[in-house]
Amino acid sequence: MAYTEKVIAHFEQPRNVGSFEAEEMNVGTGVVGAPECGDVMKLQLKINPQTEVIEDAKFKTFGCGSAIASSSYVTELVKGKTVAEAFEIKNTQIVAELSLPPVKIHCSVLAEDAIKAAVADWRDQGSTKKDAA
Amino acid sequence: MPTVVRCWRCQDEHTPQVFCPACEALQLLPPDIDYFTVFGLARAPMLDEQALAKTYYALSRQLHPDLHQTGTAEEQEASLQNTAVVNRAYRTLRDPVQRGRYWLELNGEQLGKENNKIPPALALFVFEVQEKLAAVREAQSAGTSGALTGLKAELDQVRDDLDNRTRGLQQKLAANFSKWAQANGSSELLGELKRVLSDMAYLRTLTRDMDKALSTL
Repeated sequence: MAYTEKVIAHFEQPRNVGSFEAEEMNVGTGVVGAPECGDVMKLQLKINPQTEVIEDAKFKTFGCGSAIASSSYVTELVKGKTVAEAFEIKNTQIVAELSLPPVKIHCSVLAEDAIKAAVADWRDQGSTKKDAA
Repeated sequence: MPTVVRCWRCQDEHTPQVFCPACEALQLLPPDIDYFTVFGLARAPMLDEQALAKTYYALSRQLHPDLHQTGTAEEQEASLQNTAVVNRAYRTLRDPVQRGRYWLELNGEQLGKENNKIPPALALFVFEVQEKLAAVREAQSAGTSGALTGLKAELDQVRDDLDNRTRGLQQKLAANFSKWAQANGSSELLGELKRVLSDMAYLRTLTRDMDKALSTL
């Protein structure tokens, strides 16, 4: 299967690979997996608690080129967006940007799920802190 | 299903099986026969794999074309065609994930690409193991054998953990299956079975990656 140029560009030079330090505050982490291909994706969002703007994002994905490209693209896409805006991102946007073929659509679904999981994790942390205070 | 076929020799009517129950003549299995029926098994996503292997080898011997060289044209044809069907059936049924997928299809369901969410804790486990495997590859390409010894010990431990998780899922599969069978095939319970099978498929990919890495250590 031929990858599109954009997929190859993200795959060869992935943006924002890595993790935030464990002690870093205001980071939401989402880890999601795709059963059919065995891919696993971790997305972390660093969120400003006052403005709820995503200031930074990092990812690490073990999987195929499309999964890596989808998560790499998502880290760029979410930066500067508010949490609410990021939550609205649909996988179809990723499919369109990277011209993913039908057999790779599940990679974009995984990336969308990762955003939602990371946001949910960040919200959970906020509520536990409030509970503790 | 159960269709009825007629023996080409004695005209006995029976459900599809390799030998006619009346005259023991070799029968051509219908092309749309389900793989469980080929081995005389009930349709279920789990089965006794050792017993299956035994039945498979016995059937293969009985069907072997060499044994039927002097037989009628029907028997020679059945020997060839059935051997192909039995091989296909065995390849699918011996593997728990392929078997589960096949069983789902018989029940009108598919282990789809995007409809099954992996539980977060399981995704995290897989992520952490993949990080260890990446560390192994890194240490190997850097040639740091000291680090590899420690990593191997860690991986051996994870491998045991993986086996335990797989066994746990198999038990869950069996438990959910009997519930499903008792409820006469409720679609809600079928969804539950599908989730367990999808977790099994996910862990199986990891097991393969892991064994590949361990074989290089």
